[in-house]
Amino acid sequence: MAYTVEQVSIMDSIINRYPRKRSAIMPLLHFVQSIDGYVTNEGIELIGQKLELATAEVTAVSTFYTQYKSKPVGDYHVGICTNTLCAVMGGDAIFESIKEHLDIENDGVTNDGKVSVEHIECNAACDYAPVVMVNWEFYDNQTVQSTKDLVDAARAGNPPAPTRGPNKLRTWKENSAVLAGISDGLANEGVQAGEPTLLGLKKAKGGA
Amino acid sequence: MSIQELGADQQVQVEMITCVIDGFEITVPKGTLVIRAAEKLGIQIPRFCDHPLLAPAGACRQCLVDIEINGRAFPKPQASCTIPVENGMVVKTQLTSPVADKAQKGIMELLLINHPLDCPVCDKGGECPLQNQAMSNGRAESRFEGVKRTFEKPVAISSQVLLDRERCVLCARCTRFSEQIAGDPFITLNERGALQQVGIYEEEPFDSYYSGNTVQICPVGALTGTSYRFRARPFDLVSTNSACEHCASGCAMRTDVRRGKTLRRLAGEDAEVNEEWNCDKGRWAFKYEVAKNRIKNPMIRDSSGQLQEVSWPEALAEAANGLKNSRSGVLVGGRVTIEDAYGYSKFARVALNTNNIDFRARLHSQEELEFLATAKTNATYKDLDNADHVVLIGFEPEDESPIVFLRIYKQVHKRSIKVTSIAPYASRGSEKLKANLIKSASGSEVSAISALSGLTSKSVVLVGERISETEGGLSSIVKLASDTGAKLGWIPRRAGEKGAIAAGALPNLLPGNRLISNSSARVDIAAAWSVDSVPSEIGLSTEEMINSDLQALLIGGIDPMDISPEAKIKLAKKFIVSLEIRQSDITDIASVVLPVAPVVEKSGSFMDWQGKVRKFEAAVDQTLNRSDVRILSMLADEIGKPINLPTVNSARVEFESIGSWDGEVSTMKLVVGAGNKAINNDEAIISSWRNLLDKGSLQDGEENLAGTARKSKVVISQSRAKSLNVSDGDLVRVSNNYGAVTLACQISDIDESSIWLPRNSLNSQLIRNLGVVSNSVVKVAKA
Ligand code: SF4
Ligand code: SF4
Ligand code: FES
Ligand code: FES
Repeated sequence: MAYTVEQVSIMDSIINRYPRKRSAIMPLLHFVQSIDGYVTNEGIELIGQKLELATAEVTAVSTFYTQYKSKPVGDYHVGICTNTLCAVMGGDAIFESIKEHLDIENDGVTNDGKVSVEHIECNAACDYAPVVMVNWEFYDNQTVQSTKDLVDAARAGNPPAPTRGPNKLRTWKENSAVLAGISDGLANEGVQAGEPTLLGLKKAKGGA
Repeated sequence: MSIQELGADQQVQVEMITCVIDGFEITVPKGTLVIRAAEKLGIQIPRFCDHPLLAPAGACRQCLVDIEINGRAFPKPQASCTIPVENGMVVKTQLTSPVADKAQKGIMELLLINHPLDCPVCDKGGECPLQNQAMSNGRAESRFEGVKRTFEKPVAISSQVLLDRERCVLCARCTRFSEQIAGDPFITLNERGALQQVGIYEEEPFDSYYSGNTVQICPVGALTGTSYRFRARPFDLVSTNSACEHCASGCAMRTDVRRGKTLRRLAGEDAEVNEEWNCDKGRWAFKYEVAKNRIKNPMIRDSSGQLQEVSWPEALAEAANGLKNSRSGVLVGGRVTIEDAYGYSKFARVALNTNNIDFRARLHSQEELEFLATAKTNATYKDLDNADHVVLIGFEPEDESPIVFLRIYKQVHKRSIKVTSIAPYASRGSEKLKANLIKSASGSEVSAISALSGLTSKSVVLVGERISETEGGLSSIVKLASDTGAKLGWIPRRAGEKGAIAAGALPNLLPGNRLISNSSARVDIAAAWSVDSVPSEIGLSTEEMINSDLQALLIGGIDPMDISPEAKIKLAKKFIVSLEIRQSDITDIASVVLPVAPVVEKSGSFMDWQGKVRKFEAAVDQTLNRSDVRILSMLADEIGKPINLPTVNSARVEFESIGSWDGEVSTMKLVVGAGNKAINNDEAIISSWRNLLDKGSLQDGEENLAGTARKSKVVISQSRAKSLNVSDGDLVRVSNNYGAVTLACQISDIDESSIWLPRNSLNSQLIRNLGVVSNSVVKVAKA
């Protein structure tokens, strides 16, 4: 799809934040995802043109990072951590049961386009293992049942708020815009550093 | 401290470093990589990604060695291709360190985990660094028991390059070459982890004039050439060092032949010329040698107008008869070797007693003739390496002399040197060179040339043959060079032109740059040739010969459509003796046809644009080495005025012994440029050049190569697009009284009065279609 004048001027303003144009490639890829839902060829071409990079170079970056999608994902993209700690704490079981529950494979999207699933690597949130993310927001200490409830609610259009993060879960595209550096003003909402995260600090300071 | 030679005129002090490798002490210049210092000692560290002409990447990890500096050891083996030597460094390679040896074996085992080991069907098998080093530095057996990752194979990343991703060792040689050397970053490493792979952006193929080099430097069989795939095993090939016949860049080449047939050509190594690279045309355009229309035997035209094969004596007698007692001339063509050009030059003067000889089978001018005979054009690749500023005039290096482009690009990439181009619009090549464009319509470059400033004795002015199409162009360039002290290089497109000048294949010039107008120069040559005298009257140029009433012409390889649309008709009225490789427009009208050999079947030498001689031997053995000069010598015998050049070697020896003129030189008569042409709204001044890959006859028969030729398009300005009411890609018709060309348009920042079209590409063969190629007014309309 063609981008509007307004969208293109937002891209320019993102580029202007950097001393060297090409540094803007990551936020711009997120920005394209916030419009198209994934990294489209139109997006790659426009980014290449704007940053004076070959389309192949843009492709190299967009295929390297798994946060950039080469095909559409759901409005709610569910990432289930299956790295060591989460896996043994139940992540593997969650991943298997959710695939079965939604009847999709890894990287698949439900027919209604609402929910997609991917197994992800450690999110540095092991202290809340097993961890599930939706649109990169944290859902901590999950179980098979809680995750089933989560994806069902998301499918129905009213997902619960993340355990940490903003008071309301935003869509994939909305959160992609945030990753592109466009603030939604929600950064300070909700729990910031949770109890388990601060435990070590407390101990070090001679607390409980 | 020692002194390392950099340029002829600049010597730089380089700090020297002493280190120990496997117990041997070695002293090398600061900055030398460990792997390179080891090579100096004859110690071979296995490697894949390392390449001396590419920036170090440390991508494959095969070159691990143990290093300690002043007694402190690195905790782990290090990549010797990324670490420069330091004083007090002690390096232990696989030869002396069990740790390094084990590390290398481990890496090799890892690389082979996903490698298909399909050597029996792999083009690289037999010359493969992976195969060889797996034997020399790998474990005998793999411990991997899992399932190998597989990919669909092969993927065509362009019509001429195929990629087998499973064979790739992710060394990034191909991607670094494309980015750092060619400036075409159209292949990249995509994805990550076990799925990491070389790839292109799905909608844009690997569109580079230099793509073949990636096939050559890929250390495994991951990149292969479509035309060579599955055709041969390296150990069945006989390799001969050769020189490229396609342009004046002068690439050293290697020709690989199996049972009399050329199967591939590779870039040869010559640090002073092409380093280790060449272009795709030189690499892949060789099928013309074996084309169906090769001429095998001499022919004469019979009374019914048909060519009939006859014996050599019969054909030579017929040719001699026709040439002997008539007013005649010689058209040499731009692709002959120095030896052949010398043969033509001597033949004209001795056997035909005329100075009617010209090698220029393209547009040319009287001004150019003066320039070629008098101007000092001695710039070199080295001058480009040291240049502060390169000026391109009527010259598109990427299309017209690709290695010159690479050399300029290297300095743009390395030192950001200044490049200025005088052209109607910024071609892709000049965009890559970040050239400062001085927009000029063809024909009116003179004012732009005269306005150039800031050139120094380190600047290099490179001029293409096309500038002869502009009146006063060469004159203003000569003035520019003498005013500024900048070095001047004249770069023709064809490989034979420089040598032909040296051999005196021009109407005003004798061998060794001796002017015909100079009587002592004539005496010189007459003495060398043991003849009483050589003709003193300046001869006719190519165009004059075609238009004249000369009765007979001896013609080497020329295409009349490179000169003018009527050339063939005019030539058809004369007695023509044609020396040709294949049937052509000239053999069509010739009375006598004498077959000659293509480059792979003969020996000889070309002169590159720098004036450097590029010798080559026949790559196919058991050929007759029918170089033109041998046939000219027989013909001269038949005429009764021998030139005594029975072999290529005799021609070479005689030409070298004549040497260059060291007497008085004359300077060029300068010509004043013409003013701008007036045009109406619906008109434009046409400009063009030949794309590297086009309808050139030496590219015949190679479809895979043709598949990567740039699409024909007509370049128009924004405001012209507006007034024609067209947008990018719409069809535009360019016409004049002679004919018309209709092409998709590309809207670009081009001089307002100009349009640009490719000169000899698909659907855009300008001499044929429009009768003009530049500097002429045409009508432009929406199609
Ligand atoms: S294709 Fe060849 S040159 Fe390119 S990264 Fe793979 S192994 Fe290296
Ligand atoms: S650059 Fe010129 S000399 Fe070199 S391979 Fe290409 S055509 Fe041949
Ligand atoms: S292993 Fe799951 S968040 Fe670290
Ligand atoms: S050769 Fe050193 S890392 Fe590849």
